[in-house]
Amino acid sequence: MDCRETQTLLPAFHDGELPAADRVRVEDHLRGCPECGALLADLERADQAAGVPDPGPAYWDRFNARVMDRVGREADGPGVTVLRPKGGWMRQQLRYLVPAAAVAALVVVVVRYGGMHPGVPVPGVPPAVSEPAAPVPVEQRRTDSEPVSRAAKKAESTEVARRVPPPAVARERSADVARGERDRPAGLSLPAGNVEASRDRAVAPADSAPATVPDGTPPKTRSERKNAPGATAPTAEQQAAATGTSAAGMRIAKEAAPDGHGWPGAGTGKDAPGSAVPAGSPCEMARTLAGRERFREAEDAQRACLAGKLPEPAREKGLVFLAEMLDRQARFADADAVIAEVDRRFPQSRSLDLYRQQRPMIQKRPTAVPVTR
Amino acid sequence: MGADFEEEKDERLAALAAEGDRGAFDALVTRHRQAVYRLCWSATGNAADADDAAQETFVRVYRSLPSYDPARPFGPWLRKIAWNCGLSVRRDGTAGVPRIAEGDAPEAVDPAPGPEEAAAGNEERRWVAGAMAGLPAELRMVMVLRAVEGLSYAEIALAAGIPAGTVMSRLSRARSRLLAALGTRSGGGS
Repeated sequence: MDCRETQTLLPAFHDGELPAADRVRVEDHLRGCPECGALLADLERADQAAGVPDPGPAYWDRFNARVMDRVGREADGPGVTVLRPKGGWMRQQLRYLVPAAAVAALVVVVVRYGGMHPGVPVPGVPPAVSEPAAPVPVEQRRTDSEPVSRAAKKAESTEVARRVPPPAVARERSADVARGERDRPAGLSLPAGNVEASRDRAVAPADSAPATVPDGTPPKTRSERKNAPGATAPTAEQQAAATGTSAAGMRIAKEAAPDGHGWPGAGTGKDAPGSAVPAGSPCEMARTLAGRERFREAEDAQRACLAGKLPEPAREKGLVFLAEMLDRQARFADADAVIAEVDRRFPQSRSLDLYRQQRPMIQKRPTAVPVTR
Repeated sequence: MGADFEEEKDERLAALAAEGDRGAFDALVTRHRQAVYRLCWSATGNAADADDAAQETFVRVYRSLPSYDPARPFGPWLRKIAWNCGLSVRRDGTAGVPRIAEGDAPEAVDPAPGPEEAAAGNEERRWVAGAMAGLPAELRMVMVLRAVEGLSYAEIALAAGIPAGTVMSRLSRARSRLLAALGTRSGGGS
């Protein structure tokens, strides 16, 4: 064996990963070659430098107690059942409101100042648009920079909880309810699917109640709105509803597709077929169901989506989304498996990196969800 | 009580902990906390975030115990959670970027030795920690798992979710960069 071959095998030799036959050959060569011997010593030196600074006995003395304290608070705390609902209503609202508000702002600005008044300078964002955007910095501060302590974060999320629903959400919601009352013919009973959906909501976690108070009234469906006489350029609310991303949008989507065009697998038997299941491809439906905090069904829809033919970037994002659905069901090990798959198939996945940054907050609902009174 | 748990395998302790046995869970924490901390440190490159991540790891393990299958080995499962926590916990959203300038990592080093030795030892450790912290997280990870934890290529591949060949190439790059940082000749290997 020459130096070149020996040096190729040297790391595996050093790590004890070489088959016995090769090992013997490398040993033979090393006996007569100080050059290769020095390289082996370098490998050892590098490994010596790989140490991790130990925080010391005082740190370890407290370590278990700190873990057990947190675990104990999670397991025994009286507010835990309230504090650990799936999804976390407040987080969901802010999470979907932010992009919805951005879309709404864009649409309003474009419709009002873009095509209609060319050459007129845009006089700033109208108040109706800037208001919904108000909570954005709060959420961003929590998700992006995070320089605050956990206690501070908890206090902050509680503070956010006190402030919401923001005026825009409240307005959207009340407008939605009013529209439902207006549109419902007197004495019209609920379709079976909506009864099911209402029942579904009735067993939802306590803190999600504000988002899903069943008024029992299906507003007009998305397609109905689109085809309604007199429909012009979409309003901000319609945009938000179409994307299914705002509170109102989610409600609209929830009641959509009474004609049975929805994906049959999404109901998982909970809803009457085609009634409370929104229309669209499994991929779209997964998003809609997630917006409705029905993560189990969203997971099914997303799996169906992934079973189809997708471009690789969409598959990458779809898998990350699936991991999030699993995390939101507290199925962390399953989510870990999906994340490992993303890692394997899409090394350096940007989507996964972003999700990893958010993941502790998604998993750490107890500190983020307010106690409802 | 504690002595009883010392004899038990990880998987058995995890099953007991999943049934609500806090003593079993405490024993698991004691057994694995240092390895978890080191893995978290390799993901974050600094002591403060490593501490957060290590704590978070065990809390998450506790939460996930009901879904853990004792028929599968506990170590890889734990390492996967620890690594994910380590990557996730970076508060500034720059996972993988070393943050050693403040010198936060080595300050916490055990100050047990005598005055001058301690000073020299801490200096040495600070230097070494700086070299490690200067590596990208994925290189630190393979180095820690190989050189500190003594895992095989296959075990590292499982923990990192990468092929064994990638483990070897990352190890080679990590060692070369460490040696360069240490001012010695470049390491061997491909």
